[in-house]
Amino acid sequence: MKGKVITIHSSRGGTGKTVIATNLAATYANKGLNIALLDLDFRAPSLITVFSKGIRELVKHWLNDFMNGRCTIEQALIDVSGEYNLKGRLLIGLANPAIEAIRDMMGKSRAWEVTAVKRLFSLRSTLFNDMNIDYCIFDTSPGIQYSSINAVISSDLSIIVTTLDSLDIKGVQKMLTEFYDAFEKRTVVLMNKVFPETRKWSNGKQKELITQMEKALKRPIIGVIPCYCDVLQAKRSSLLAVEKSDHPFLRNLQEVAKKLEHID
Amino acid sequence: MAAGEIATKKSPTLDVNVLLKMLVDELNQVNKKLDLVIELSGKILKTQEEFLRRITKKSYRRKAIKLAPDAMTLLSLPSSLRKTVMALYKLEEATAEDLARETKRLRAVESASANQLVRMGYIKKKREGRKVYFYIE
Repeated sequence: MKGKVITIHSSRGGTGKTVIATNLAATYANKGLNIALLDLDFRAPSLITVFSKGIRELVKHWLNDFMNGRCTIEQALIDVSGEYNLKGRLLIGLANPAIEAIRDMMGKSRAWEVTAVKRLFSLRSTLFNDMNIDYCIFDTSPGIQYSSINAVISSDLSIIVTTLDSLDIKGVQKMLTEFYDAFEKRTVVLMNKVFPETRKWSNGKQKELITQMEKALKRPIIGVIPCYCDVLQAKRSSLLAVEKSDHPFLRNLQEVAKKLEHID
Repeated sequence: MAAGEIATKKSPTLDVNVLLKMLVDELNQVNKKLDLVIELSGKILKTQEEFLRRITKKSYRRKAIKLAPDAMTLLSLPSSLRKTVMALYKLEEATAEDLARETKRLRAVESASANQLVRMGYIKKKREGRKVYFYIE
């Protein structure tokens, strides 16, 4: 089976997961690939804020409906490629932000969570074989909770997004040893919002930081993206990969995208 | 003195015979009671076994419904069993051979691991012809 499922995860909130997930998806779609981007953060849905321009009217089924067995994955996906003039297809699956839906997803039983994992595994064949999707990207909730670990165990590759904050690093270390090691999942780490001075660092110094981090986390560092004020200040509803594709943040992400393509 | 001794010895000899007969009668009665006790304990044991069999069956059934190999539970399983469940999630339904192909372990290892998970109540198995399929309910 062709196609790959990539999970974007982090130990804590605010590391830039959603910005990375949406722009990575748009970067691939801009190259002509077909992408499915799913919001698996059912407790704090965030993808809807990125694609907010009239997207609600287009939603016939939420991703919650697919997870609850009320619709197929095709019915839960919305094609936004036309709106952004993308070369490939970008299909998005949104989590329902209504409080009732969040409460419903928070009160699920263990037996339901088993079905959830089965559903996430089963969507692979529909996406990759029937819908010709090249990459399926899961944007997850931070830390270890059912929605995020279900995503990780049903994906082929996980990208852990972290800042250089010691709390983040310690959180990632703990998550890797207590959870990722147990599942032997292919995992890479993406350093995001790294302090701006690194932009002026020599290659040698940057490599030293990467070596240090790889030693501490025992996982490859797939990229180091400095903190850009304009990215932080940009509206949540803007898709940088489309609006400012030559931005250094995007150039860094394009490098990451290239590296990801070469991981089996 | 000696004749008197014999005389006193003779009468207890007669008593001993009577006593022995009485003792044998008593022993026979005890024997009958013991036979009854053995018979009754046999019946009690049988009832206990039947009771235990039913209780165990019920508790296994209850366990099988309760146990679900969800993501958190997977963390508590030994890695060898976890690997089998993960492969089963991917394959949905699989023989030990299919599992072995997925996990790149020996068929015998997967068979033992999957059967252990069946006994623990995490997964189920069904027979179709000569093949045994494992699946997550």
